[in-house]
Amino acid sequence: MTRRSKSESCLVYGSASLLGLVLLCPVLWLFIMSISSTRDLTTLPLQWFPSEISFDNYAKLVSDLDSSTAESFLSALRNSLIVAISATTLSLLAAIPAAYSLSRLPGSRRKSLLFVAIATFMMPPVALVLPLYSTMGALGLLNTHIALIAVYCGILVPFTTWLLKSNFDAIPIELDEAPLIDGANRLQIIWHITLPIAKPAVGAAALMAILMAWDEFFYALLFTNDIRAKTLPVAIADFAAGRVADYGLISAAGILATLPPVSMAYFLQKSLVSGLMSGSVKG
Amino acid sequence: MTGLSLKGVCKQFGDLNVIRSIDLSIEPGEFVVFVGPSGCGKSTLLRMIAGLEEITSGEFWIGNKRADQLPVSDRDIAMVFQSYALYPHMTLGENIGFPLRLAKVAQKEIQQKVLKIAEVLHLDNILDRKPGQISGGQRQRVAIGRALARDPKVILLDEPLSNLDAALRLEMRVELARLHKKLAATMIYVTHDQVEAMTLADRIVILHNGEIAQVGTPLDLYNKPANTFVAGFIGSPKMNLFPAEIDNSVANASKIRLKNEQNEFNLDIPVQATGPIQMGIRPEHMSPINEGGIRGLVNRIEHLGSDTYVYFQTNNDASAVARLNGIAPIQAGEIISFTTKPAHYHLFDQNGIRIE
Repeated sequence: MTRRSKSESCLVYGSASLLGLVLLCPVLWLFIMSISSTRDLTTLPLQWFPSEISFDNYAKLVSDLDSSTAESFLSALRNSLIVAISATTLSLLAAIPAAYSLSRLPGSRRKSLLFVAIATFMMPPVALVLPLYSTMGALGLLNTHIALIAVYCGILVPFTTWLLKSNFDAIPIELDEAPLIDGANRLQIIWHITLPIAKPAVGAAALMAILMAWDEFFYALLFTNDIRAKTLPVAIADFAAGRVADYGLISAAGILATLPPVSMAYFLQKSLVSGLMSGSVKG
Repeated sequence: MTGLSLKGVCKQFGDLNVIRSIDLSIEPGEFVVFVGPSGCGKSTLLRMIAGLEEITSGEFWIGNKRADQLPVSDRDIAMVFQSYALYPHMTLGENIGFPLRLAKVAQKEIQQKVLKIAEVLHLDNILDRKPGQISGGQRQRVAIGRALARDPKVILLDEPLSNLDAALRLEMRVELARLHKKLAATMIYVTHDQVEAMTLADRIVILHNGEIAQVGTPLDLYNKPANTFVAGFIGSPKMNLFPAEIDNSVANASKIRLKNEQNEFNLDIPVQATGPIQMGIRPEHMSPINEGGIRGLVNRIEHLGSDTYVYFQTNNDASAVARLNGIAPIQAGEIISFTTKPAHYHLFDQNGIRIE
């Protein structure tokens, strides 16, 4: 390794710190807001550091079970978890065999199918929302988990398929032919060989899918209208939409809403480690 | 042990004929080597036997069962890949036992079988390791072990030694020969290395442009190459070919006159051929003489210690090489003459087909 000069080091670390600052500042400000009192947040000039630290906002959201605030937040949390996890699971169940097929099996029509899938992913949600809304309405699915899960699957399946396909492409074809010779069928190949080898990619796809479903606002806003189905982004928006916006409360809800995906990312990062391919072919 | 037979087997990729009507029958327990230059279709033919490539036309039989439409897993054929294709996330033991696991064999039985195979292949100490933690030779043995796990009827090997270094290749070659004797399984081995082919094979199939150039025992191919392609392919350095003419004016004998060469080569038996022919002589069958024979100007000498290769240019401008035992005191620039016993003449007609 070549030694970096002092100025180079400064530049590298300076840029990294700047990036870190840009990424962390909003989160930090959100956290500060969440532990400040309403008075500190509304004074002019702005009080950058709260005069007293209080976790009342968090308590309001999670422990005060009789209040409508806690009820709507907790049910939104539950709805979000159900919708994001179900949509991700279903999407992966469809995307894994689809990606395998697109990556491994012959046929020129498959390629155009992938293109169509990507094209639907590119379509703006506004273009789709009206027909989807009337369909969901006709099926009686508005304001249910199923409606959101179905719509999110429509977004996630093309995305995860494409992500997984490009990862499956990197696995040598011999690792399909060898199990075929050993007596495996295609599903067994996927289960015993492709998935364990592509574990990092599957982990990444799952993480991205969960995040996309977790953060989705547009469809969730339109297709849900009460605590039975409202997800976190919509619930948080509701806190801001009242006559008095409680910024502290909104910030606390925002912080809490980031915890599940962040912890999930933390646990999945182990499986995101690559380098599993070494030693399989040649060497 | 099962034999295989191919009847008029063809393979096309689009307009490209990769395999053109191959007829071949392989006896149970035979060690057959497919050999040929790159792109001759040898690997494709092997993959067709395995079921990894479809057969465009023709029939393929395993024993007395028609198999060209049979799925890969029903053929009971094992294969060792050139790249080994080990499963990177499994230990060596799991790799070897994988075919048994798929066949739903009891766990205990799998363990016993894996251990037995590992002993044969000297892998018993490292069964817990992953493929990334072992050497190329060991990976090769694991790949072979996986192929042996199911006691398959037929074992296919696709250039299994080509990724190993020279010393290891030799060692594995001996081991493969030993293994074949021990298992008595039908084996088909693809290589471009004629030494592997000559040393391992019961029979060699030489492929050229998707067709069989010749099938025979190694010595058959060496002693009686059916055409100039086989003549050039088997033997190292390759056989010298000289343009020549036949003179049948004397009864019951033939004279062969090399082009531009004064001397004649006599054969006691008549040769049924007219017009220009090619005469082939293997480098190792050329012995230096003082006068007559094939004359040429030595332009390069290679000393291998055990042998000396003498490269020379004949009067008709053909390059030729002679292989002399030991260290021959010949220098570049010398004029040299070689002769050969009539038994070592190989005659080929204009189309390169052997004349008996």
